[in-house]
Amino acid sequence: MSKRFVTLLILSLVLLSIVPFAVAQDAPAKPKIGFLPGVVDPFYQVMEIGVNEAVADFGLEVVTQYPQTWGPSVQTPILEAMIARGDLDYLITAPTDKEQMIAPLQAALDAGVKIITVDTFLGDGDYVNGPVTFPISYIGSDNIEGGRIAARALAEVLGGKGKVYIQNTNVGVSTTEQRGQGFKEGIAEFPDMELVGEDYNLDDANTSVEQTAAKLQAVPDLAGIFGVNVFSAYGAGNAVKAAGLEGKVQVIAFDATADAIQNLRDGVVTLVIAQKPHDMGYLAVAFAMADWRGVTSIPKHVTTGYAVINAENVDDPEVAKFIYQVPGQ
Amino acid sequence: MAAESQPLAVPAEKSNRQKQVILAVSRLWAWVFLVGLILFFTITVFSTSGGDVNFLTVRNSQNILMAITPVLLMGLGQTFVIIAGGIDLSVGWVMGLASVISALVIADFTNNRGMAETLAIPLGFGVGILSAAIPGFINGLIIAKLSIPPFIVTLGMSFIARGISLLLSGGNVVIGQPPGVRAFGNESLFYLISGEGGGLFFLNRPNVTGEVLQRLDRILPWPVVVAAIVTAVLLFVLHKTQFGRHTYAIGGNREAALRAGVPVDRHVIMLYTLSGITVGFAGVLHTARFNGGSSIAGDPLMLSSIAAVIIGGVSMFGGHGSVAGTVIGALIIAVLTTGLVMLNVLPFYQFVVVGIVVILAVLIDQARDLIIGRIESH
Repeated sequence: MSKRFVTLLILSLVLLSIVPFAVAQDAPAKPKIGFLPGVVDPFYQVMEIGVNEAVADFGLEVVTQYPQTWGPSVQTPILEAMIARGDLDYLITAPTDKEQMIAPLQAALDAGVKIITVDTFLGDGDYVNGPVTFPISYIGSDNIEGGRIAARALAEVLGGKGKVYIQNTNVGVSTTEQRGQGFKEGIAEFPDMELVGEDYNLDDANTSVEQTAAKLQAVPDLAGIFGVNVFSAYGAGNAVKAAGLEGKVQVIAFDATADAIQNLRDGVVTLVIAQKPHDMGYLAVAFAMADWRGVTSIPKHVTTGYAVINAENVDDPEVAKFIYQVPGQ
Repeated sequence: MAAESQPLAVPAEKSNRQKQVILAVSRLWAWVFLVGLILFFTITVFSTSGGDVNFLTVRNSQNILMAITPVLLMGLGQTFVIIAGGIDLSVGWVMGLASVISALVIADFTNNRGMAETLAIPLGFGVGILSAAIPGFINGLIIAKLSIPPFIVTLGMSFIARGISLLLSGGNVVIGQPPGVRAFGNESLFYLISGEGGGLFFLNRPNVTGEVLQRLDRILPWPVVVAAIVTAVLLFVLHKTQFGRHTYAIGGNREAALRAGVPVDRHVIMLYTLSGITVGFAGVLHTARFNGGSSIAGDPLMLSSIAAVIIGGVSMFGGHGSVAGTVIGALIIAVLTTGLVMLNVLPFYQFVVVGIVVILAVLIDQARDLIIGRIESH
């Protein structure tokens, strides 16, 4: 009798110690994804659509949080609270600074969350030979190439000749600096085109209007302007409109937000260069899933390319799909 | 929490007791609110995640302490300034200035002058804190000697600090820091490995990898230790020294303080300098934590730091407030952010809640003065 009791006791103890392992082994069959963009704006909201589509296709779960302003001081506390959940396997994020976010994201990796960067990068973006190699991949636009595309598109409109001018945002912002640099390289390919200046409007449309108006006065035969982002192009386009030079001075805008497309329809800008945030979001989740399945040949860097939108093709569904459209806005 | 002013002898025993109840409520409601918030998040985070996620964890407690560090340090000097009836709107960009200058000094002395990092880091931090004290001193000088409203002077100083820090850094993040900088900003006094093969480690980070590394928690990171020391010192200064008594006296009634022989001008200059110094600590700790100097480090945190001071019960009319209150105010904001993120609610709700709490804090403040005034006039 007592022997039976002891056997039962041992059996149940053995069972009890095995069961949790058995449960633990087949429970988390799929990874849980965190998505932390750089700031709340239409570009990242479109990226979120891509993330959510992939998450639905793979049958995963995602936790998404948006910082209200750009910068490591704001992004880091949100990052740490997401990591403190303890249930995330991958984090898809746009680091708000390529140097300052290294330590916080390394800490996230130490806590067991693998990192994929989208749009922006850590270190120099080269995760093979660069100073930072721990993220799985960097998926984003090649901004230098984007600047070149803008230059070539402008050259095409202008027939390969004329004076051009750059409306830039701030010194030291890697993406817009690279767009300006790429634009200069692109313009250099055309011997009859000349760059007559570059101004920094501190990401303020009013300043951009003032600077562009002054430039239009100083250079009466100005033929084209590259606005490196929405506000720069908006300001430049409005200055052109105010001077009654629509159609005579061409304006190229970067980023296909609803505002930029409205400016295109209103004739304020000539061309809009669209990035592909949707692709960035979808691919990032697909890469996370691939890594989870043991795929080892995930590319460390993917450039997602651009679409060029003008007044003729803006209503073509094949092109219009690249406009940053957020449902409910 | 330090005991505050002794109740004066009041004839009616009953009204005295009423007054004490009102005072206690006005001082304690923020604590109760904080405990309520923690309870709320503990329950909701656990239940909405189906038991997968816990709010009350060692790691999260340390996250919250790290998150309040800059907000608290910016708020501590501000606490003194507002108690004395002033305001310092320059804290955000002055913090960025301190961050940039400390990083420039450290990078220059280690990379170009071959100084050992053990010397260069304290030197850089010292210069960084000093570079924040100077605009504070100038603020105080202009406010005290030229009688220009603090709102205007510190707003102007904010723009000047912004311009200088952007010029010095060229708009970039100042990098090239030796490894000790990042270690100081991210390593801690204790390390805890929970579960199997774990334990508590002092000073030296256990060299673990993989799954064990995931169970490693940093207890009392160095920035938190620094903030705690600054807080303790200022708690003592405000509540136990003549400097503190003069601060309350100037905020309560400037004319009376002058007649009582308080050196008001000199004190005001010292208060704004103190604000600069605590902001300077926030700036150099940003450099350490994020391994680089950034001019935009403090700007997004400035309004939170002022909100923390107000939630903590510092009256915008001067004369009331405590260091402990500001700690609670900063904690409430950090708990809200962390809790809402863990609940997977958009953090923008945080602003709505913080806004309500700020207005509530001022209402409670006003109601207290009104009720006490009524009791005393009977």
